[in-house]
Amino acid sequence: MSTVKSNEIVLLQNIKKDYGQGNVVTEALRGVDLKLVKGDFTVMMGPSGSGKSTLLNIIGGLDRATSGKTIINGQDIGILSNKALSLMRLNNIGFVFQNYNLIPVLTAYENAEYVLMLQGINPLQRREKVMSLLQEIGLDGLENRFPRELSGGQQQRVAIARAVASDPQLVLADEITANVDSETAQSLLELMVSLNQNNKTTFLFSTHDPAVIKFAKRVIILKDGNISNEKLSSVEIEESTHK
Amino acid sequence: MMPKALMIIRIAWRSIWRSKRRTLISIFSIVIGTGLPTFTVCLGWGFYNGLIDDVARLMAGHVTYEHVEYRNSPSIDLWVDDIQAINSALNNNDEVLSTKQMVLLQGVAHTAKGAVGVSLMGIEPSKEISVSFLPDSIVSGEYLSQGDGRRAIIGNKLAERLNIKVGKKFVFTSNDINGELVEDLFRVKGIFKTGSSAFDSYVVQSDINFAREVVGLNSNATSQLGIIVKNPDNHDKILERWQNELASNDGVFLSWRQIMPDIATYIYMDRGSLVIIMIMLVILVQFTMFSTILMSVLERKREFASLLAIGTKHVELNLQIFFETLIFGLIACPIGSFLGVGALKWVEGYDISKLIEANPEDMSIGGFTMDPIITPFFSAPLILQISIIIFLLVLILGIVPMFLVSRISIVDELRA
Repeated sequence: MSTVKSNEIVLLQNIKKDYGQGNVVTEALRGVDLKLVKGDFTVMMGPSGSGKSTLLNIIGGLDRATSGKTIINGQDIGILSNKALSLMRLNNIGFVFQNYNLIPVLTAYENAEYVLMLQGINPLQRREKVMSLLQEIGLDGLENRFPRELSGGQQQRVAIARAVASDPQLVLADEITANVDSETAQSLLELMVSLNQNNKTTFLFSTHDPAVIKFAKRVIILKDGNISNEKLSSVEIEESTHK
Repeated sequence: MMPKALMIIRIAWRSIWRSKRRTLISIFSIVIGTGLPTFTVCLGWGFYNGLIDDVARLMAGHVTYEHVEYRNSPSIDLWVDDIQAINSALNNNDEVLSTKQMVLLQGVAHTAKGAVGVSLMGIEPSKEISVSFLPDSIVSGEYLSQGDGRRAIIGNKLAERLNIKVGKKFVFTSNDINGELVEDLFRVKGIFKTGSSAFDSYVVQSDINFAREVVGLNSNATSQLGIIVKNPDNHDKILERWQNELASNDGVFLSWRQIMPDIATYIYMDRGSLVIIMIMLVILVQFTMFSTILMSVLERKREFASLLAIGTKHVELNLQIFFETLIFGLIACPIGSFLGVGALKWVEGYDISKLIEANPEDMSIGGFTMDPIITPFFSAPLILQISIIIFLLVLILGIVPMFLVSRISIVDELRA
């Protein structure tokens, strides 16, 4: 049994996840062990069905592992109630989704402000934080636009602003470049790198996109429900994602 | 907490206007669901109240004081005494609008044409003029006045059967208080037509003092004392008090429901069926509303899942759905009530017999004709009560979508 070090944001021990029941059981994860430390900028790659999203969901407390330990920021989240998990997600984890998943009836400003509101931050602090964040991510002047009035790249920027607004320990980003063009993807990744460097926010990406790798401090390849190799050449990585 | 609640309200408000068409359909269904019961119930209650009031004023009041045995055997030898003291006490009571003494005789009216069984009501003409609609129903001759003696008014059907006109005479035969046969001559002063064939072919009215003379009753005795109260809805509460404070050993205060059970039963049954129809209508409307709320929630499952993912609690999502239904109710229920009242104002005073092409005489209940003129019962508590019931039902509709949201699988919805 390993102990949790103070700079370890994520510690996974022998994580297994099975889907289905009875005779038809699919093993999505087959005993994953993983550590992420503060300030990591990790890219998780692998072919479709390799378990990337499942692993992200378990780390993010959106799903529960069939067995194994999931320790986030020193806390075993496998034993938390749904309510406690909500609170853990609110205070520790930021999510950026492939389809942005912004609240369509809230403006860019309100979307970014939403999490701060849930945390009970006072209006003045919220305004300061959100406005500086929107400026930082290049959405200055677009704060009153609704998601439908923004381009895909702009919506993803708002999603990033929402994810980092509450200064979470960890940001989980699931295929965030999948729905944007390569230029926008490049600028989004640069933005996240700068947030990683400036705020020491830990990022964990799941992606199919080999272009993301050049930004990664660390690359994990997930294959058949397990981490197959943490150090691969870019050629091998490209091959791996297309298998 | 307040900013969070305000944010949730803001999301709820904007969410319901995302699909304007669906929102308008929902609001429309609640407006109909509130307006229609308001219209129908106030209309029905207005008819019932009008009928009760007319009958009470024509007959023995909302509350009647009579001999304890009179209901079982309504004969002249069952009278109540000391009536002037009771009458005086009641007339000084704030809850009483008016009282009317009546001597009721069953007998036979004779003319050369033949003999007809009748009920002779000895009444106080001055009181009847102020409380009853009968003086306005005179179609020939005049209504009675104080001290008219042996002059009487009769119904038009009875006049036909006896073949008499105003100014003509008839003989009335009955029993006195000792059971002896008595006869007296009456002269027709007026002929009335109420529209109720039972009343118009059976009732004779004369001055109470002459009726007392005919049967040998003293001036301090009467068959019935009718009491018209200011608020007929509350008369049940005062019955017991008057019974304890005013009634003699052989006297009893009764409600109009006990005096006219056939009308009370009719109204009870009709009100019941009206309420059942309204409940069915409201259920139908609620289904429309329910399906639109449910649809709007189900198509936002992914959105709810992403809200849950970023740390929103289930209770906060449920609060959002609650606010959405609350907003629907707050907008639509008052509009429904106003429209219901507006429609009532529009039809107020209209003669319903023209609409259904019915003879007013056919619109009778328990022998008494309903007033065909629409007089809705505008009662703020009643209208508010209907509105609140619909409003609460709308809020209850939100429970199922709330339950569904509480069972959302974040992973499944985000993957979809």
